Amino acid sequence: MSTCRLLLVDDEAEFIETLGKRLARRGLTVHLANSGQQALDIIAGNELDVVVLDVKMPGMDGIEALQKIKALKPDLEVLMLTAHANVEVAMRGMELGAFDYLMKPVELDELLYKIQDANKKKCLTG
Amino acid sequence: MFTRLKALFSDIFGQESHQRLGDEEILAEFKKRYHNFRLLLTANKKTLAIMSEMEQAMRGQFVFGMAFVRSQATAASVNVFRIVKHLSEIAPGKYDALFERLKDLQAQITAILARQPQTVATELLLPLEKVGREMSDQVGSKMANLGDIMTRLDLPVPAGFAITSLAYTRFMEDTGLQDEINRLIQAVGADDHSTLLPLCSQIQQMIVTAELPVDVAEAILVGYSELEGKTHPGVRVSLRSSALGEDALGQSFAGQFRSVLNVAPEDLLITYKEIVASKYSPQAVTYRLAKGIPDQDVAMCVGCMAMVHARSGGVAYSRNPLAIRDDEVFIHSAWGLAKTVVDGAVSSDLFVARRGNPPKLVTSQISHKDRIFFCDPLAGVCRQEEGGALAEEPSLTDEEAMRLASIAIRLDETYGEPLDIEWAMDEAREIFLLQCRPLRQMESSGVVRPEGQFGKPLLAGGVTGSPGVAAGPIHRVSRDLDMLTFPPGGVLLSAEAAPRWATLLGKASAVITERGSSAGHLANVAREFGVPALMGLEGAVAALSGKGEVTVDADGLAVYPGRVEGLLALARPVEQDAAAHSPMHAILRDVLDVIAPLNLLDPSAPEFAPEHCRTLHDITRFCHEKSVTEMFRFGQDFHFSKRASKQLKYRVPMKWFFVNLDDGFVHDIKGKYVTMEEIACEPVHSLWDGFIAIPWQGPPPVDGKGLLHIVAHSTVNTNVAQVGDEYAQGNYFMISKHYMCLSSRFGYHFCTVEALVDDRENENYVSFQFKGGAAETQRRTRRARFIGDLLEEYSFRVELQGDEMRAIYAKGPKDLMLDRLRLIGYLLMHTRQMDMVMTNETLVAQYRRKFTEDIDGLLREAGEKHMREVMREEA
Repeated sequence: MSTCRLLLVDDEAEFIETLGKRLARRGLTVHLANSGQQALDIIAGNELDVVVLDVKMPGMDGIEALQKIKALKPDLEVLMLTAHANVEVAMRGMELGAFDYLMKPVELDELLYKIQDANKKKCLTG
Repeated sequence: MFTRLKALFSDIFGQESHQRLGDEEILAEFKKRYHNFRLLLTANKKTLAIMSEMEQAMRGQFVFGMAFVRSQATAASVNVFRIVKHLSEIAPGKYDALFERLKDLQAQITAILARQPQTVATELLLPLEKVGREMSDQVGSKMANLGDIMTRLDLPVPAGFAITSLAYTRFMEDTGLQDEINRLIQAVGADDHSTLLPLCSQIQQMIVTAELPVDVAEAILVGYSELEGKTHPGVRVSLRSSALGEDALGQSFAGQFRSVLNVAPEDLLITYKEIVASKYSPQAVTYRLAKGIPDQDVAMCVGCMAMVHARSGGVAYSRNPLAIRDDEVFIHSAWGLAKTVVDGAVSSDLFVARRGNPPKLVTSQISHKDRIFFCDPLAGVCRQEEGGALAEEPSLTDEEAMRLASIAIRLDETYGEPLDIEWAMDEAREIFLLQCRPLRQMESSGVVRPEGQFGKPLLAGGVTGSPGVAAGPIHRVSRDLDMLTFPPGGVLLSAEAAPRWATLLGKASAVITERGSSAGHLANVAREFGVPALMGLEGAVAALSGKGEVTVDADGLAVYPGRVEGLLALARPVEQDAAAHSPMHAILRDVLDVIAPLNLLDPSAPEFAPEHCRTLHDITRFCHEKSVTEMFRFGQDFHFSKRASKQLKYRVPMKWFFVNLDDGFVHDIKGKYVTMEEIACEPVHSLWDGFIAIPWQGPPPVDGKGLLHIVAHSTVNTNVAQVGDEYAQGNYFMISKHYMCLSSRFGYHFCTVEALVDDRENENYVSFQFKGGAAETQRRTRRARFIGDLLEEYSFRVELQGDEMRAIYAKGPKDLMLDRLRLIGYLLMHTRQMDMVMTNETLVAQYRRKFTEDIDGLLREAGEKHMREVMREEA
């Protein structure tokens, strides 16, 4: 599979730094953002394949960010990764076109597979 | 059949549009659908795994909390949404009704999860004199009982007020704090000691540093200044937890929450928050988890009462806690505050009184009380002092003890149940009641063991904290760190009977402490968990540390080296945990009812339709079936030979049809037929190996009754193929190199086999579903069970529902997966018409033996062949 360009978005900086390093070791190109707005800026300026997006963030929350990302780049796949276990929010995310809604803690392999699956889909419809 | 399907398809979409597409475009379209199909299968498998885990939790195979229910329900909803979405990509517009069904079901699940006990309190604060017993849902039972005792029985209770569940809701819910806490618990998980301690400390920190809503803070301060008016300015107070739901299921919540004594006015608000935070102490969290009590059911009310300057204090039991038939009153007492008795920090004096008017002292034991705990009203601190000269003195006179006994008896009679009463006596020798709650009595065997019957004990003495006998390795705990290393089944050894050790009682086999008594919190919880506890065993730490495995006889008051089987045999069976009927299970049951039951069993029935999907499982089943059909149709619908089905030629054309999803053939197949050698799909080869390995011996000898049933049912049984329906007598495969999906009708039953065998070992699976037959239901059901039993022997996870059997073997390396396919191949060949003989026990046993032998031989052969290949490659 070709390299996957990934953006991790979470207000817990430490969490995405660690995760980003582990994913980079698996051969992914990883960008980090600590807020929804920062994520949108990065998305506007970079070619990306997959976004991993937290739901609960101060300021612009994940659902709003998802909406804006999809408006900006409809083909960009977005995985929600959150500790917010809420059926309604999850469904809202899925309806807005999230590729999946994963709950922390998630195993690295599982996340990696999801990223790969999302990436492949994007390449096919893109 | 295909012409029929094609016609159907064209009706819906218009055939022309397809014909205008070029081969490349059709291939791209197919690839897109295939990718969606694979994602659908992944989501399908995930959904089934989630449901299975929820069922396991329901059966009590592990403890779980609200975080588990919420996240499983969310994950199930998300995955079923994905299934529906992927199906809509495979067959655009055709099954959109499912989105609506899904929405309905999700709304039902959300409603169940959102069910919150609503607070009935309308005031943030209630003075104790306005509180009655019926108000336990506003102020917690602890404060409700005290208020009742004060107002109705006119017994002495210190002046004070209760901070209600409304205040709690305002603080935790309205500020969004609870959401944050739930999120943390979900992210970290509360079921492991190594993550539990930091998690709890983080949550407690969050609560303590959060801002109280202004109206709540103000109400507390106003309440306090009114209390000053009733007592004196600057009065020190105690703040005690009085959680809602403490009495649920008769559980005591003993000692889990904080109580703070001698609080100065300036510390009121922070102390209130500390007590609310103690809802998330490690012992409270583990306790709720073990007992299946949802966090949301426990609203933390707090009682605030003027301090009593206690000369002595303790606990009175209105009946013997360790003997149900004993109605004598037990008074435990120590110098200073009752806290020392409750916390198990010192040994206490014991006065036993016989009921009567007045009650009569039966016996008293004066202990060595090496420490005194008291609060200095001036310095505003609480501290412990050496017992000194008072250590050996009785902390109550006999007369005072009998006054307490009278009070205990009166309360017992008024409330009609055994009670556990915390009391304090001030310097003026006036008695105050600080707490009163139901006492759970237990039966201690109270035996006297003949000396030497079980060998020489390592140590003998102490008192029974919780009855029973148990064995395990000694593990000494003195610091929180020791909790992390505590082994399951260990014997907890500690100097103090500290309430914080309660968090280990789910793991410990027995408890031994040097101090404490049956009156302490730890003893209470030990009794609740059915863990034997031997307390007040002097010198235990020195004598028992590092002794390895011991047998604790909490009834006979001794500790023996090693496992003493004779003694363990005397132990009464541990009571079955009531957790399976807990409020948590009730919530899970309700959620599961919307998720797990499967109503859509028969794909050929008219009810097999979106509007009949009543659960998430129904939707899952429906989508899986339809996705397979839709994928299979693709080649025909698009007149696309490369993706149309090819018939297997093995000597002669077989009724095995293959659709190549991706890389399932070694090269493009021109024409109608494909050979085994041209198939690149590994799972199919293994299945085929098993299928042809041992020739079928023909149908089993059918007994007269069986045959009659076939004849009779052939005319009415919907499972029996219609004459002339091609599809009814064939095997339809969709394959890629690593994946196969088989939909099949073999004779009178239909089945699906699905397998993914690739490099992602964690995603590998082999599933086998099977339903129907020609015989009557009972025989079909028996055959389903027969096959299910066999598969379970080979580590499949099996579910049976009537004559339907669903088996899955998930996760594992390639060779194990392929073995499972060989096994299924064998079963496909050999279970044909097995339903006919299912009532003949002898024949069934014979078949069972033959099958097991055949399969073991088959797998052994495959293994040897595999080994030879590996050796050859290496050579």
